[in-house]
Amino acid sequence: MITLTINEKEITLDKPMSVLDAARKAGIKIPTLCHHEALKPYGGCRLCVVEVERMPKLQNSCTLMAADGMVVRTESEEISRTRRGILEFLLINHPLDCPYCDKAGECELQDLVNRYGPTTGRYTEEKRKVPESHKDHILARNMERCVVCTRCVRMCNDVQGASAISVIGRGNRSRVEPFSSESFNCEYCGNCLTVCPVGAILSRLYIHSFRPWQLDREVETVCPYCGVGCSLVVQVRDDSIKRVIPRMDLGVNRGLLCSRGRFGYEYIHSEDRLRTPLVRKDGTLQQATWSEALDIVAAKLTAVKNAEGGASIAGIASPRCTNEDNYVFQRFMRTACGTNNIDSVSRTGFAAAQKYFEDLLGQGITANLLDGLKNSETILVLGDDPAAVNPVLGLSIREAARRGAGVIVVGYAKGLDKFRTLQVIPRVFREAEVLEEVLTGVFSDRGVRGDMPYVDKGIRELSDRISGKKTGIEGIDETVKKLLQSASTSIVLGMDIVQRSDGHRALFAVAGLTYLLEARLYLLSGRPNEQGLIDAGCVPDMLPGGRPVNVPDFRGKFEAVWKAAVPDREGLTLLEIIEGAGKGNIKALYVMGDNPVRNIPHSSFVKEALRSLDFLVVQDIFLSETAEMADVVLPALGWTEKSGTYTNLERRIQLLRKAVETSSGMEDWRILSELSRRMGVPASYSGPEDVMRELARVSPLHRDLTYGEIAAGDALWPYHGEPLRGEMYEVPEMPDGAKDYNADFYLAVDKPLFHSGTLSRRSRALMKICPEATVRIGAAGAAKLGLKEGDKVRLSTPAGSCEAPVSVDGTIMDNRVFLSGNFTGSGVYDLMNFSIDKITKAPGTEGCEVKIEKIQGRG
Amino acid sequence: MFNDTVLKEIEGIKAKYPDRRSALLPSLYIAQREFGWLSREAMTCVARSLNLPEAVVRGTASFYSMYKHKPAGRHVIQLCTNISCMILGAGKLVDFLETRYGVPANGTSGDGRFSLVIMECIGACGTAPAMLVNTDFYDNLSEKRIEEILENYK
Amino acid sequence: MEKVLLKNIDNPNSADIGEYRKAGGYRSLAKALQMQPADIVEEVKKSGIRGRGGAGFPTAMKWNFAMADPKFPKYLICNADEGEPGTFKDRPILEKNPHLLIEGMVISGYALGAEYGYIYLRGEYPAAKDILEGAIEQAYKENFLGDDILGKGVRFRLSVHQGAGAYICGEETALIESIEGKKGQPRTKPPFPVNVGAWSMPTIVNNVETLSNIPYIIEIGGEAYSAIGSSDCPGPKLYCVSGFVENPGVYELPMGTSLRDIIYKHAGGIKDNGKLKAVIPGGISTPVLPADAIDCAMDFVAMPKAGSMLGSGAVIVMDESVCMVRVTYRAMKFFEHESCGKCTPCREGTDWLRKILERIEHGKGREGDINLLSDVAGVMSGRTFCPLGDGAAGVVTGMIKHFRSEFEEHIRDKQCKFRN
Repeated sequence: MITLTINEKEITLDKPMSVLDAARKAGIKIPTLCHHEALKPYGGCRLCVVEVERMPKLQNSCTLMAADGMVVRTESEEISRTRRGILEFLLINHPLDCPYCDKAGECELQDLVNRYGPTTGRYTEEKRKVPESHKDHILARNMERCVVCTRCVRMCNDVQGASAISVIGRGNRSRVEPFSSESFNCEYCGNCLTVCPVGAILSRLYIHSFRPWQLDREVETVCPYCGVGCSLVVQVRDDSIKRVIPRMDLGVNRGLLCSRGRFGYEYIHSEDRLRTPLVRKDGTLQQATWSEALDIVAAKLTAVKNAEGGASIAGIASPRCTNEDNYVFQRFMRTACGTNNIDSVSRTGFAAAQKYFEDLLGQGITANLLDGLKNSETILVLGDDPAAVNPVLGLSIREAARRGAGVIVVGYAKGLDKFRTLQVIPRVFREAEVLEEVLTGVFSDRGVRGDMPYVDKGIRELSDRISGKKTGIEGIDETVKKLLQSASTSIVLGMDIVQRSDGHRALFAVAGLTYLLEARLYLLSGRPNEQGLIDAGCVPDMLPGGRPVNVPDFRGKFEAVWKAAVPDREGLTLLEIIEGAGKGNIKALYVMGDNPVRNIPHSSFVKEALRSLDFLVVQDIFLSETAEMADVVLPALGWTEKSGTYTNLERRIQLLRKAVETSSGMEDWRILSELSRRMGVPASYSGPEDVMRELARVSPLHRDLTYGEIAAGDALWPYHGEPLRGEMYEVPEMPDGAKDYNADFYLAVDKPLFHSGTLSRRSRALMKICPEATVRIGAAGAAKLGLKEGDKVRLSTPAGSCEAPVSVDGTIMDNRVFLSGNFTGSGVYDLMNFSIDKITKAPGTEGCEVKIEKIQGRG
Repeated sequence: MFNDTVLKEIEGIKAKYPDRRSALLPSLYIAQREFGWLSREAMTCVARSLNLPEAVVRGTASFYSMYKHKPAGRHVIQLCTNISCMILGAGKLVDFLETRYGVPANGTSGDGRFSLVIMECIGACGTAPAMLVNTDFYDNLSEKRIEEILENYK
Repeated sequence: MEKVLLKNIDNPNSADIGEYRKAGGYRSLAKALQMQPADIVEEVKKSGIRGRGGAGFPTAMKWNFAMADPKFPKYLICNADEGEPGTFKDRPILEKNPHLLIEGMVISGYALGAEYGYIYLRGEYPAAKDILEGAIEQAYKENFLGDDILGKGVRFRLSVHQGAGAYICGEETALIESIEGKKGQPRTKPPFPVNVGAWSMPTIVNNVETLSNIPYIIEIGGEAYSAIGSSDCPGPKLYCVSGFVENPGVYELPMGTSLRDIIYKHAGGIKDNGKLKAVIPGGISTPVLPADAIDCAMDFVAMPKAGSMLGSGAVIVMDESVCMVRVTYRAMKFFEHESCGKCTPCREGTDWLRKILERIEHGKGREGDINLLSDVAGVMSGRTFCPLGDGAAGVVTGMIKHFRSEFEEHIRDKQCKFRN
């Protein structure tokens, strides 16, 4: 216990901290420009000086540790004089262009000068001249306004870990620059913007477009991009989002954001938004009224149901829609349409893996808080680059690495290149054998745990099968050693590993490691509500709350509340639905908020299948590639236009708040409610909170959950619910022998930092940062083909072909070339076939041979 | 990228320290030797060989005044003008170098023969004024002596 | 007085290990390795030696702090970043007597339990780098460095780390940052380097001259050493004299020799029978002394009382031809150039002061400038992160205190009338 006195106020501290932090804790504000709560003390600006009894001169309070018995004064004549002097120094080279500067009104320097003066300056010499740089698409740099507090550089280095900017030069010639001096070429998290106290780094998205005091309102909500679920503050003027900022004290991200969250909001105001329902007439989609469109959908679905049975109807739900939307969606599909054929594109990864782990290890096995990641001793990273798929989660790994944690990457994770302590590179598409070898290594040292006999049995069988047969891949033994030494291990799993026709093998190994090491398991989630849609019941085998649909007792409870029958057989999974459509077994498909044509492998196959449908309804905010094929298109509301909840990958339920008014569409749940009524199964709600009330009543997992609790940030797994224990009925067979992938090149799915699905393409900022798909290829591959950065190539596979420029990436050491799925005409899924993993029902995308030809005379 | 000989040299330097970043300053000297000055390309090579971010390499390099941050002439004259040298006439030698050889302070002569770097103290105050030409040291300078010395640097 | 630090340097081959050994070199190391580390520290404590870098901190005390820290490895770093303008005292040791330094470091390393040493050598001394590296190679060959020194199972590995032109790296925490491959910007203290230094380990940073005294302390014993020079900061001291004296150069004299004797007795008095105007006694960061203030003992204790500091013992002598405004301006240009930029008062203050001084020197001074200089220096003084900014402020304050009229003349006459 440390007790000190600040401004006559006695303050007791339970842990060591600086005098400045102690004062802040007691509500006493000490001015500073270089100190920031997210950063380590720096001691540069010298504004935080205080008087300390028995110390001869003024002390810097940010670097002075509070000591027992210390007597501190934070304001006095001398302190004010010093602060005035320092501020005069800071202004000698400052352009004093407040009337023109965007920061005015929220500028820390302006506020301090207003408080401490000086009112006039005595500096008559020439000021430093540095022209404002607009060489970057997103960030403007004005080094005349810079006070060299280095918060931006420290944020970029010490927190974000991007290390894209640095102070160039020294002394009064110091200026902040990216490596190129021009474009930042960085991760564009914009966290430098958050910490800049002055107008030295500004976002060009809103430059000169508003003043901070002109904002109509600020609304706290959750990011629409990925499964981390960062809290955002949306600042609005005239029903238009002017800026998205984080708050240091808010949410899982505590002040940090990524490029998508910070700069990706513009899509909501896109010109291309759907404004009215569209109905296909004479082969073209034409504008229709709501009642016309809804009547057609209700009539057609009813007709199909009556003629072919509910099992001929299927629904694709959306990991971008809220829990409320998804809950009403599955209720509508199950009761009004009479089908359990409900799934989502999450089946291509997250939902498949999540189900596998829960079946084996019990409900909630993937519900782990991000803080646990930061505090891990060892982190095993598999499948994808967390720093690209879930950037803010990636920061937790970087932070752990900075604290000395071991970061072991199996495969590639470019965003962790400077943070990993070990990299194991499996043979192409054969990650499973590496993980199995690691698991048996751990098992041979530890033995089994004994509390889950069927898992123990599986591990033992696996170990027997591969005993003695080592792959000889470098780093496996070291990985086993590190895992055995680690007191707290986290496993971070990306979905690329899941997309194998034998993906369940890797999943079993991961589950085995999670179990034996008592590790925390994190599933990377590229969409904001993948977990939520599962929990809301948008899966073919489970009712809301993860209760099996084929168990009459469970089903009966829901039927009682819904006052309608629920089919008793499990429905089809995503790929089965698509295949069923192709074969003519599925006649009608209802797609809510997704774009299966772009988001499922083998686009031409998917299109062909959708073309075979009798009836396709798409409910979306844009006319997506899938919507273009629909018979009826219903315009929905987007993020910030409606309220609701998301469940993040930690399984934390968070509140989304409406921020802007729009006249374009209708909430997804309301559309479904309208249709349900028209189809004779009333399901009406007064609003999203009312939907949650029903969910909390009917789902054993969400029991008694309220918006109040969610808004307070208390809705953490397992809420008030009752998790089910895992009970895998059989351990999957694990075939020996594996194929070698020796062709020149194979196509693989890239997950870029700057895009997510297809929404990000409607954000001008993200399109400026990353305007088109690129083919990432290793240095050896590029050399073999005589390719250099920017060369244009044609990629051809049996499924299709496309053209795109090349990006040479020295970190890729194998014969895979990576292409993302975000861009029309050059999406990776356009070029890929798939086979289905018979256990996880996820698509296997391995082994897609690709021919690469340089396109001469261009690029 | 650096050739294998240089990479080996850098590996040797890394081995002297418990942390790879410590090899940064020596590696920048090597990059400067290989490229003539610290161009972006030179700094990228250093960044890759030490697995450090490029901006960190550039920021660090820019802090130190003895790295060449722009292309330099064939011979670099580093002339001290700090107080002991100044009071004994170093300022006039700066003027002399400009008029006689066309090399401005902190610039390069038109013929690319000399660059002149104005130095702070080079530790030759007892025999001031003094200069380094490349890594060769000369003191007790006068205009005449400079002429004689620079004859050897074509 | 017997020469200790500059012993044998007139021998053209003095840097060779053979010559060094012929003159008795490495005997102290052999003796030290027979002693217990704690006994070596005890001798150093008895000697009363204070660090020669400028701050005058008792060496044994610094060592004890580092030894009390249980963390290993510990590092011993020699500060050979002799950058204080006017200073050239370490250079003869580095270039002519490198084995003395190496011997001092090995003994110190053994005493401290440090197995790794680095010599942080300023980039401006390229010749010294080659000489030191040659000497280190010789010492490895003859088993004075390595993993089993003199067969005693003692390890000490030594290498040279070349700086790249940054005065601030003379400050020990900045030096440590620089050796870690970072910008040479000072760190917050505490923690001090003796606890959290290079690579976060206990680190002892000692000046070249300090470490070069160690073999002699071992040779004659701490007590005998403590009898040399001033009683409260004993030992031989290198004074380097430059400027307007007949015989500029480095003089090894007992600590506490008077400034007057250094100038008139040893350096031959003012050049060309000129008249003394002012002396900067310890490198340009130390306040100037007027001609009538040179009867003071040049040591760490007496100089502050005389209104300045011993600093690095770099005596810059100025006669009546020298313009004090120009000297102040040039000094400020130096500080501005060398300010690391971390803290506001130093970064902005040196810039502002330099601009005002430049104006005054070039005949564009204005009324009120002298007060403005004092005010700006006043804001800096005691507010900067490290002593660099304090030194810069002190130079201005000291110059105005002693030579105010010269500033006034410049402003009044709108020109500088001095030759140098």
